[in-house]
Amino acid sequence: MNRVVLEDCIMQKGIPVTAGSKILENFISPLTATVVNKLLDHGNVIVQRAKMYEFGIPNFFTDDSDEIPEAIKVVKDGVADYSLCNDLFGKYRRNAAETGCCYIHPTYGTVSRFGLIPLVSSMDQIGVVCKSIPEGLKLLSQIAGNDLEDGAMFPEKFYDYAKNKQSISVGIPESIVNKADQETQSAIKEFAEKFNSVNVDLEYFDVYKQVMMILSCAEISNNISRYDGIKFGYRASGYKGIDDLYIKTRSEGLGVETKLAAIMGAMVLSKNQYTPYYEQATKIRRLIKESLRFDAYDIIVLPCCISEDPYENLSLFALPNLVGLPCASFSYKGQGIQLIANVKNENLISTAWEVCMA
Amino acid sequence: MKYEVVMGLEVHVELATESKLFCSCSAKFGAEANENVCPACAGMPGMPAVTNKKAVELGIAAALVTNSEITRTMFFDKKNYFYPDLPTGYQITQLFAPICRNGWVEIETGEGKKKITLKQIHIEEDAGKLVHDNRTGTSLVDFNRASVPLVEIVSNPDFRTAEEVVTYLEKLRSLLSFAGVSDCKLQEGSMRCDVNISVREKGSDKLGTRTEIKNMNSMKAIAAAIEFESQRHIDALETGSEVLVQETRRWDDNIGETFSMREKENATDYRYFPNPEIMPIVISDEWISAVRESLPETAQDKYIRLTQKLGLSEYDSSIITGSKNLADIFDETMKYFNKPKEVVNWIIVELLAIAKGDNKGGDDVKIDCKKFAKLIELVDNNTINRGVGKKLLSLVWKEGIDPDVYVKENNLGMVSDTDMIGQVIKNILTMHSKSVDEYKSGNQKVFGFLMGQVMRELGGKADPQVIKKLLTDLLAGK
Repeated sequence: MNRVVLEDCIMQKGIPVTAGSKILENFISPLTATVVNKLLDHGNVIVQRAKMYEFGIPNFFTDDSDEIPEAIKVVKDGVADYSLCNDLFGKYRRNAAETGCCYIHPTYGTVSRFGLIPLVSSMDQIGVVCKSIPEGLKLLSQIAGNDLEDGAMFPEKFYDYAKNKQSISVGIPESIVNKADQETQSAIKEFAEKFNSVNVDLEYFDVYKQVMMILSCAEISNNISRYDGIKFGYRASGYKGIDDLYIKTRSEGLGVETKLAAIMGAMVLSKNQYTPYYEQATKIRRLIKESLRFDAYDIIVLPCCISEDPYENLSLFALPNLVGLPCASFSYKGQGIQLIANVKNENLISTAWEVCMA
Repeated sequence: MKYEVVMGLEVHVELATESKLFCSCSAKFGAEANENVCPACAGMPGMPAVTNKKAVELGIAAALVTNSEITRTMFFDKKNYFYPDLPTGYQITQLFAPICRNGWVEIETGEGKKKITLKQIHIEEDAGKLVHDNRTGTSLVDFNRASVPLVEIVSNPDFRTAEEVVTYLEKLRSLLSFAGVSDCKLQEGSMRCDVNISVREKGSDKLGTRTEIKNMNSMKAIAAAIEFESQRHIDALETGSEVLVQETRRWDDNIGETFSMREKENATDYRYFPNPEIMPIVISDEWISAVRESLPETAQDKYIRLTQKLGLSEYDSSIITGSKNLADIFDETMKYFNKPKEVVNWIIVELLAIAKGDNKGGDDVKIDCKKFAKLIELVDNNTINRGVGKKLLSLVWKEGIDPDVYVKENNLGMVSDTDMIGQVIKNILTMHSKSVDEYKSGNQKVFGFLMGQVMRELGGKADPQVIKKLLTDLLAGK
């Protein structure tokens, strides 16, 4: 019987769900998320709901890495065995690794988003904060699998993460690793020595963060347009007419980071900016996917921090979200590192974890 | 004529699916306000869009009957704008890869045959409905229609006259309703038509200033709106009385004029982008063939079958095939009683008359075809006479009685016993000796009166042919 914490973006019917936003104050979940039903079916217990940053959007331009989300704290402090959240911008991956926990971001389309408050539909993916990768995968195997209520999923009903591969080869993007601090560099070096390792060149890495920013803001601006004060959630008082209702409600109900994302998103989708920004970003996203060479290595190793600037660090976390790859972060030799594998190859990450921790 | 009117049409047709486009709520018309609403179509977060496969199939059917090129990998896009009847703040529609393009529909008017070419057909979700309460100064919103699937059929600017427009709409209605794509009712809003109209000097190849007219809910209104709007354009061109601007105008059927809707300039950037929640849908050859094979008979094929194989008149056949509903009633009734002439006769003469009494047209008639067939059969095999048959039809219509049972329980079977009828006639002739004298002195009209008296005496159940013969014989003194 595992104790599981849900971040406040995963719905339980009849229980308030706010995704950390005033605009959803007093909003009661009209349904229960598929992952919650699956957790309960497997005998797990939901012990708590965790507070979160508004919609999980971190500070894009100010370093907030020492502010640990509650979903991670509860696992770190032993209040829960696991927690579920939706890490889009890497904050959870970094904070989990830096606090000695692990974060597993599963393959896009393997865990149902029914009952998850959507933010970036092409990247939203419920992930697991856990104590170890094999344990995390055990829980993941309980919640993963096709759900007819989510139209963007792989058809498999179950995933077997226990499959083993004898020898793992790892790709090390040396030019990126070299940007990390000395301790992290030597941790990754030690890690690499346990495997066949090759130097990889992550093409387009320099624009990962821009592509990530453009596409995610576009989808955020669209997904939060449903919060308009008409049907549910917060509505400002003292408005005059419908436009004023929208403006007052959203001005008062949404936080700064969300507004920033919404404005940037509306900009990159607008008639004159669509081609140079949104469409271009979509094309590069496809090129990024095509540029990966999982025939030459099984997993890619990346640090969890290369800069004080959170926007620079965004590039470190963009790849799994942009391409839909599985990823896990954890602490190795006291340093945060992350492993990225090809689609549905979570088991390779687990194998690598066991080898390096042995 | 110095001027030429150029028009293109955007026709919205509600797809005849049981459920909505992206959730399992009922898509039926006429429910209580907000009865058919779930978290998804109320715009709440947490329910990803899951495409209704039936809607895609009806889209393929629409593509097939309009000779369109089907897009093999289609996808949906999001169109962003704020309006209270749009629960999510975006409409799911198709801009970049609509279900089909480059179709055509042939129409025939007084000028002859003409091909109307189509730019594209796309699938999209409908919005909800706003109701303004003037008493309290508030607005109420009903999301029953939100996310009901539609196809929008966009034509090229091929129309020159209102007659062409109306003929095209009738043709579309026939093609789509017979294919089962939609019931295409203008009054209920399951078919809506916006007209893009401009006027230019004849012979010019440049288009004039274009306006879009909305809010016509009958063929008559469409024709009248086109008439009004083209005249407004011509007046503006000739007299310079007003400057034409590109705008959307609302037709007011009571006043008979179009009015500017004064849409905001800045409301036109819809920030379209591909919907990432919905995977692209691949339309295979096999899928298209399966839809093609499942398509019901077209109105045209049905007309040929009725006139050539079943030997019905052109007039009767055109009435039956002019309405998908009547055609369905005909086919269904024929399953139980296979005499086409009788069935058509009962539909056109009796059923439509009863329907008209209830203010219903051919598209709205509903009848239990099994009972209807039974009733026709009872008359046809002389179990009851036609007069009783008509009365029973109105009881089937109103109360859904079973004709067989009703005839037995109420003893309505036709009286054909000639001895008994003869006796009744003798009694009547004795009672009305004066009338008999009138008849004998040449007043033929009295015959009808006497027939009526006999029929009344027999409770309306006798075979009129038998009465007629016996009465004639008795009056002749045989």
